[in-house]
Amino acid sequence: MHKITQTLLDKFTIDYLRNQVLKNAYGNDDTVIAGLDPRTLLCWYLFFGLIPWFLNDLIVLLGMFVFVAITTKLAKIAPLVLFLFCLGVFCQTGYLFIAALFFGGNLSTLYSLLVMTLKVSVCSLASITVFSGLNPDRLATGLLYFGCPDQLSFSISYAFRILPILMEEFQNILLSYRLRGHSPSKKTWLGKVKYFIYQIKIIILSFYPLMLNTAKRSRTTVEALELKGYRYANENKIVRKKKMASLMFKKDDLIFVLISIVWMILCVIISILF
Amino acid sequence: MKKSMTQSQKLMTFVLSMSLYGLSTLFTELIPSFQIGIVELSVEYFIFIPLILAMLFDPLSAALGAATGELVFSEIMLGQFGGLGELEKFLTLTIGIYVAGRLVKNPKSIKSVAIASILAVIIQQSLGCIVDILKVQFAVEDFEAVAGLPESVFFTEGFACLNDILFSGILFSLLPCMYLVPKLYGKIEPLLGVAPRDENTVVGDGEKMGIKTFVLCAIAFVVAIGGEFMAENGLAIIDWEAAWAGNSTAMIVSGVIAVLVIVLAFLKIKNRKEAAM
Amino acid sequence: MIEINDLSFTYPGAKQPTLKNIHLTIEKGDFVAIIGNNGCGKSTLCKTLNGLIPRFIMGELQGKLYFDGKDALTLDISEIAKKVGYVYQDFENQIVCPTVYEDASFACMNYGLENYEDNVMNILKVCDLYSKRNDYIWQLSGGQLHLLALAGSTALSPEILILDEPIAQLDPKHAREIYEILKELNERYHKTIIVIEHHTEYIAQYCHHVILMKDGSIMWQKPVKEALTRVEELESCHIFPPQITRAAKIMQEKNLLDSNTLLPITIEEGQNIFTKKKHMTDCTHERKVQEKDERVVEFVNVGLQFRSVKGEPYQLMKDFYLNIYKGDKIALIGSNGAGKSSLMKMMIGLLKPQVGYVNVCGEKTKHYSAEELSKHISLVYQNPEDMFIKDCIRGDIEFAMKERHIKDYKDRAKKLIELFDLQDIQERDGRLLSGGQMRRASLAIGVALQPSILLLDEPTANLDIATRKEIMRTLDILKDVVETVVIATHDMQLVCDWAERIIVLSSGYIVKDGQRHEVFSDKYVREMVGIEPPEIFKMGEALNIRCYEIDEFVSAYQQEES
Repeated sequence: MHKITQTLLDKFTIDYLRNQVLKNAYGNDDTVIAGLDPRTLLCWYLFFGLIPWFLNDLIVLLGMFVFVAITTKLAKIAPLVLFLFCLGVFCQTGYLFIAALFFGGNLSTLYSLLVMTLKVSVCSLASITVFSGLNPDRLATGLLYFGCPDQLSFSISYAFRILPILMEEFQNILLSYRLRGHSPSKKTWLGKVKYFIYQIKIIILSFYPLMLNTAKRSRTTVEALELKGYRYANENKIVRKKKMASLMFKKDDLIFVLISIVWMILCVIISILF
Repeated sequence: MKKSMTQSQKLMTFVLSMSLYGLSTLFTELIPSFQIGIVELSVEYFIFIPLILAMLFDPLSAALGAATGELVFSEIMLGQFGGLGELEKFLTLTIGIYVAGRLVKNPKSIKSVAIASILAVIIQQSLGCIVDILKVQFAVEDFEAVAGLPESVFFTEGFACLNDILFSGILFSLLPCMYLVPKLYGKIEPLLGVAPRDENTVVGDGEKMGIKTFVLCAIAFVVAIGGEFMAENGLAIIDWEAAWAGNSTAMIVSGVIAVLVIVLAFLKIKNRKEAAM
Repeated sequence: MIEINDLSFTYPGAKQPTLKNIHLTIEKGDFVAIIGNNGCGKSTLCKTLNGLIPRFIMGELQGKLYFDGKDALTLDISEIAKKVGYVYQDFENQIVCPTVYEDASFACMNYGLENYEDNVMNILKVCDLYSKRNDYIWQLSGGQLHLLALAGSTALSPEILILDEPIAQLDPKHAREIYEILKELNERYHKTIIVIEHHTEYIAQYCHHVILMKDGSIMWQKPVKEALTRVEELESCHIFPPQITRAAKIMQEKNLLDSNTLLPITIEEGQNIFTKKKHMTDCTHERKVQEKDERVVEFVNVGLQFRSVKGEPYQLMKDFYLNIYKGDKIALIGSNGAGKSSLMKMMIGLLKPQVGYVNVCGEKTKHYSAEELSKHISLVYQNPEDMFIKDCIRGDIEFAMKERHIKDYKDRAKKLIELFDLQDIQERDGRLLSGGQMRRASLAIGVALQPSILLLDEPTANLDIATRKEIMRTLDILKDVVETVVIATHDMQLVCDWAERIIVLSSGYIVKDGQRHEVFSDKYVREMVGIEPPEIFKMGEALNIRCYEIDEFVSAYQQEES
């Protein structure tokens, strides 16, 4: 375990995280997926996010899995997100498998666990395709369309604005700890555990200065929002209309939907045949 | 004199809580967990961040900000979005932080800060645990009949809950809050242009924490269960011979639902278009 | 037209009113500078003008404020927003959308204007951001961010624009750009422009009127020429008139200039008043720069590249060589993105070059962590707030020594606190101090581990001129504490006064490395990198005098006398 932790810690820097999140949000805005209308994608997600839960057919699920895997590839998702996806799936089903074995389940559960894993994976990959493949503003507009509160869509676009700044600030504070602090030696096993705990401790401690620094910033931000009529806009609906006007279905959307439908039908046919 | 926060100060609290807690979820998502036997040492969340803000400023804005922050930063940005199931975390987190924030009358009293901070985790975790157990109970028809299932569910869920309360509750809520609240009190408020909170500050909508808050929390909790249940309906957590075994039935059901979902979505689009005309 | 009548404002809980009985009239189409020392109520006055007070900032407000004869206190915030645009000092926080066009049109959309697109495009063109309209915010440089903040507040076509210290964070090239744009907005689009500013050189060149504030009251409002020539009065408020004006004043006092002459405030005016030298006269004080040979930092064949968000990694440095010697006092200059911070980060071991190596005090940074190198070399960030991780500055100064189990850390911290004159504020939180105090504290933190090399990133950014002088004195203190100092800066006065060696960087290459006269007399490099020498140097250039300071300039005429 600590070996994995070690390599993780070496690879993982705030800088890397920042780069990956930005890449995920903005680095892929020229892909086929990002070019689609957010409404199409959200409907598509509703289908691929819900239907697998009602299915137990291995072949259909496999087919769906292949399909969403392809869309994920098309959306050029950042490696970190994919890694998290794998980790998440493993934790969810691996954990259950062990627990079930422990309490008297048997190996036949393997099959149902595979089905289970496929369900989880299809849903997660579909959500990764839609939520990471789309750029945040288009996603926010799409959500707004389906009646999400304005606050949420604003939060999304603001979060993407503020994240690079916050990360940089956090990185600098953490750096202060790293340069001026004294981390435990990593040589022994115990040292590694200590090092790990030390890392988490300084992350927590870093939030003290970060809270104060961010407080200063958010005052200006909120005042600027008031001046720019953010609250005023929530009370009248023109903004919504304006934003809606930017949405448009294109030929690509139709093609994408048709391919999805054809693929699903093929899967079902194959499943019935065998 | 009674003091209360203005709308823009509440917005500041919201923005602050959202960005800070959101940022922290990016890290907690990535910190690996340790398993020692059945005890899991995982850094689940840095709940102390929104808790401190809830104790020093407006509890509701801080609570909603934190929940939104988690949704936006870790779910949407990192593509970990789990659909309707996220509603559960959103609401339990909001309830936990809000109640704790309301409980603290005077942030200078370390005792009340300590009690509130641990209570927030207890509330959040127990609600989550109840939801999880109910979920499996509803989802698996012969819940009692499946060998080992009830025990394993009760045990794993209950233990995970206790584990989190003790581990996250103490290390990531109680201790940081006790350490940071007195340090930040009186220092962070001027930066937002707010007077520090004391007994005279009107928190929430001016009432004492009473039946109304409680009822609201209860309703929110029911919605949370509903959301979680809707999201995972039909998901038998572990599909031994579960109800949806018949292949053809499942196909038909899923087909019908798929068509319904899509028809509904397109109706909505059409309505919007007409409304816009 | 703005009319203010007997306006007073008190923040909640404050004992004294921040604004006291303000009477003020600003004509339409004026270009006004508000000056005054820190905490005199400049920003509060501006926040009253833009409607934040009393709508969103609580407090006790008395008196009247009229826009074109209408009582502003009765106006709706949307009406005020269409009249007044506001750019904050910390402008990057007022940008709330992820892309340029979106942020510029945010206000228009919120207030539901019809057909604002052309208007927004037009303002983006004026602000030189049209080609960047689809870019993301984090792709912009600091100067462009400021222009975007300006565009965002101008998009509603307000008649009045208020800018709080517009150029404090910008390099000289961008500072001039901002003022040129403001000038265009003022002259072509007839906007009334109000700036809070302490760079009097810019006031002299661009503004029409000056308002002096002191302790919440308005001392006077005068045309720019009259205002800036009141040298003594301004200096008593810690405001420094343009160097040319001060030089002329000193010359009047020394009877080198007729006491009836109107003091000059710009270089053009100076040319009419000062006599031009027939031959090049060098008045610079002799400075002995010793030859040094002991290398403390070596860059050997360094190549550096970054991950980029999109596409190929970005190559910043290639075949880069540089030696820094023991005892060097180096100023690193160059526009934003030239590689100054990367160079510093490589020295402290935070960035490791992909090609070549960096040697610090004989140790290759490749083999050591930044933490291990920190006993040799220390970096003070541009933003001092990030240096404060404890809740009082004494704690911050002690922190590094305590962590490394240095026995007499308390005594050493005490000595540093005395050296940097921090006794009175040692128990306060760093973030809540004034700009100058913050800098001093951050310098003390930086030298706590007694490094042999100290790196400073923009130590004078965001400071008013009086505080800058304070920092210059602190730098003199440093000379006894640290042997080798490297400063990355845009502040050319600091470069002239302090540096013994100047390194000019441009897109990852060293384009010049030498002493100040070598750099400043190289017009080609100056042009390429956008270096703006101190005004007195440029004045001297026009008059065939080589000088970097006011007294050097004056001495050119004294020599003549004697």
